[in-house]
Amino acid sequence: MRLSKKDKLFLLSLLPLATSVLALLILIIFAILLRSLQAINKFGLELLVSSVWSPEQEIYGVLAPLIGSLATSVIATLTALILSIPLAIAASEYLKGFIKNVFSSLIELAGGMPTIIYAVWASEYLVPFLKTYVMEPLHRLLPFIPLFSCKPITGFSIFAAGVAIGISVVPYVTALILESYNSIPAMYKEACYGIGAYRHEAVSILLSLSRPAIVASLLLGFARALGETTIAVTTVGSSMYLSSCLFAPGYTVAALIATQFANANLYMYAESVLYTAALIVTVIATILSFYGSVIMVRWRSRIVV
Amino acid sequence: MYSGRRLKEALFTVTIITLSVAAIAPVLHIVYTVLVNGVSVIVKAGLRFFTDLPPTPGSAEVGGIAPAIAGTILITAIAFPLSVVLGLFSAILTTEFPKNPLSLLVDTIARSLASVPTIAISMVIYTVIVVPMRSFSALASALALTIVALPYTYTYFSAALRSVPAMYREAAFSLGMSRWDTVTRVLIPISRRIIAAGALTTLARIMGETAALLFTAGRFRGGVAISLTAPVDAIPLLIFDYILSPYEIWHEVAWGASALLLLSYLAIFMSVKLMVKEVKL
Repeated sequence: MRLSKKDKLFLLSLLPLATSVLALLILIIFAILLRSLQAINKFGLELLVSSVWSPEQEIYGVLAPLIGSLATSVIATLTALILSIPLAIAASEYLKGFIKNVFSSLIELAGGMPTIIYAVWASEYLVPFLKTYVMEPLHRLLPFIPLFSCKPITGFSIFAAGVAIGISVVPYVTALILESYNSIPAMYKEACYGIGAYRHEAVSILLSLSRPAIVASLLLGFARALGETTIAVTTVGSSMYLSSCLFAPGYTVAALIATQFANANLYMYAESVLYTAALIVTVIATILSFYGSVIMVRWRSRIVV
Repeated sequence: MYSGRRLKEALFTVTIITLSVAAIAPVLHIVYTVLVNGVSVIVKAGLRFFTDLPPTPGSAEVGGIAPAIAGTILITAIAFPLSVVLGLFSAILTTEFPKNPLSLLVDTIARSLASVPTIAISMVIYTVIVVPMRSFSALASALALTIVALPYTYTYFSAALRSVPAMYREAAFSLGMSRWDTVTRVLIPISRRIIAAGALTTLARIMGETAALLFTAGRFRGGVAISLTAPVDAIPLLIFDYILSPYEIWHEVAWGASALLLLSYLAIFMSVKLMVKEVKL
């Protein structure tokens, strides 16, 4: 592409802004890397295999928050999976006209709602609800399964945090699934109905066509759930004790940082340990969302002709 | 066999409807509970909710959240224009010069910033800005929020610029307009509604972001601070602290503040809805 003099000037005038965007990312990467080096050098792998938080004795281990982050994100993704697909199908297949508009407006409304509002609602209403109607029955019926083996005491737990984060991720995942579901060319649907398929048969064929896109949406949702902070802090229960039971209070990395970082500068290594934990979560989230977008782009170029 | 298929169809419909209702119910319940609990607190406190200081834990009166309101307005007033300008110019760069290696880099960065947890951004700003300046500040908070908002403004604006059909650009070029003129006089005016809607959606995100403020704002609740370098408070931050506290009166204030935040969000959402049919989040 040949540029005229004026266009070159235009490009040059955009450069300072472009470089400042670049500088921001380099700043973030370097700050996180540099600050975590100290802890990695000092503690090494020990950080990842134990669960202790005792800055006074300089013993640290972030296994419990790491597992907590992964577990809550898995539960959140499952919640999003169970709720988003029906929501997307209902919005695109079952509803028409005014009701459809209201319905999709509600999904959009929920998608942009500040997470702190979800957090307030979850800690005051969702956690007690889950405790009485989900956790206690599950514990009573299936106490031999390790995941349900402990009695929910306060309700604030890995499970509650997972479901709460899941509810906040549902609109995002639904929007992604809906977008890809609607971008499937109409001829597939017409072909299904043309050979006399019922609606559920047509939908299951269309869903199987969009399976990679659904997987990608869930990966993106998982990445978002990993970084969720406010909802995690208010519902997870904040305990460094590592348990196989989902109904026990736990920690996530984001929640650990939110509660400990403010006082971390009082101790030699605390801040650096938290940076290491943040580094791990950020790397996982970035890889997952990159992978998710790659799958999405590839799927779209294949299916949308 | 036919009745089997019909039965399956009915079961499928029932499952879809039930699960959709289960998915939508939390949203309705959130709006309902926040408004019911919060508005009653605001009504009880009256106008003083907007002008007074927060109560002490033992206080009987609700008081107000003036420092948080002022702080949110101040931080948003800096972060919003910054992220709009950065996002808009990055979007212009990548849509106008898509083959330039720098554009590819900016595109990748602006998108991948979205996957960095906002709390990590807060930590970085704490280390890079707050510690050297020896104080939490509105400036540090605004910078953190700008970084949080940048991927969103960038995505909205580049989608908006790309939504303009290619023939308009070709028509402008055939008239001998330069790229700068094409962008400012043709592309942006045509897509102005989508751009405005994207900007407003980002405004809502900046207003409601909590984690990015945790280690940057400084939670100054002793008075209304209008200074860039002094610690400030923000509405989401106040809600976060008060809902985690054990005091009943602080919970009440948190509900009131949540209702205020939700109402502002609803107002923004409605105006975006009036501008464009579909909101992308």
